[in-house]
Amino acid sequence: MHIPDGFLGIGISILMYIISISVLVWSWRKAKATYSKSLASLLAISSAFVFVAQMINFPIAYGTSGHLVGGTFLSVLLGPYAAVLGMTIVLLMQALFFADGGILAFGANTFNMAIIGGVSFFIVRILAGKTEKGGRFYASVFVASWLSVVLGALACGLEIGVSPVFSQAGGVSVTVPAMLFWHVLIGLGEAAITATLITSLHRLSPAVLNSLQLLRGKNHERIH
Amino acid sequence: MKGYIKAIILIVLGLALFVPLASTFPDGLETVAETLGIEEHEPLWQGLMPDYTLPPISNAYASTFLSGLIGALIVLVFAFLIGKTLTRDSAP
Repeated sequence: MHIPDGFLGIGISILMYIISISVLVWSWRKAKATYSKSLASLLAISSAFVFVAQMINFPIAYGTSGHLVGGTFLSVLLGPYAAVLGMTIVLLMQALFFADGGILAFGANTFNMAIIGGVSFFIVRILAGKTEKGGRFYASVFVASWLSVVLGALACGLEIGVSPVFSQAGGVSVTVPAMLFWHVLIGLGEAAITATLITSLHRLSPAVLNSLQLLRGKNHERIH
Repeated sequence: MKGYIKAIILIVLGLALFVPLASTFPDGLETVAETLGIEEHEPLWQGLMPDYTLPPISNAYASTFLSGLIGALIVLVFAFLIGKTLTRDSAP
C-alpha cells in the first residue's frame, strides 16, 4: 500500500503532510505522558520486527500479493501513541533507504498506515470491551486489524483518486472500489497474522502486553 | 534483556527463512495502477538499497537478506533513540 512518488497530486500530498505532522506532534505529546523508560527497547524491537515483516509478501489471488502492515499489532503491543511513532519510523526508513513509498507521498503513507494503525487501538477497545484475553479479545484484534487495512486502502483510494494521474483513469469512483477489492482480501492475511502474533505473545510473555491497561482505561500509571 | 536478544535472533532467522518464500507478485496498489494503465516512473529518490537489494551483491538472496538486515538494524537503532528521547523525563 506504499504510494510511490508520481501518483499523488501536489495539493493532496501537502494536505496529507499537514494532517500527518499534526497527528504526530499530538501523539508525541500524549506518548510523553504515557510511557515509562522501558518503552525504548520494546519500541525498537517491535518496529524492527514490523520492518522485516513488511518485506515478506504473501500471494493473495490473481497474481497479486500483500504483506503485513502491522499497525494493529504495534497498537496492541505498545498502545496507540508509540505505535504511530514506531510505524512512522519504519515508513521513513523505507522511503529514505529503500525507495519504498515516495518522499512526497510520505505524509499520505504515514496517514494510511501509521495513523490508521493507531486508530485501530480504539477499535479494539470498543469491540473488546474490558476483556483483554480470550475469544472476544482475539476476535476484536482480528476485526480491528482487518479494518485497519481496509480503511487504509480506502484512504489511499481517495488520495490517488483525487490526483490528476488517476482522475484521467476514472478518479475516485474507480480507485476506491479497486483498492477496497484487493485490500478486503489482503486484510484477511493481516488479521490472521496479527491475531496469531498477539495470541502467541499473550501465551509466551503476558507481561509484555501491559499497554492493555490502556484498554481498561487505567492509564494513570505509566506503561512499558 | 534476555527476551529482547531472543526476539532479535527470531527476527533474523525469520528474515533468512522467509526472504526466498516472499511473493514477487505486485501488491494491491501496484495491481490497481497496472489495471488502470498507470505506469510507475523512476522515483525522485532511489535510496541506497532500491527494492530491498544491495546493488554490489549479485546473489539475489544474499542481496535482499543483507539489505533487510541493515534496514532492520537502522530501524532498531533509530526507534531506540526516539524511545529514549521520548521517555527522558519519565519514571524508570
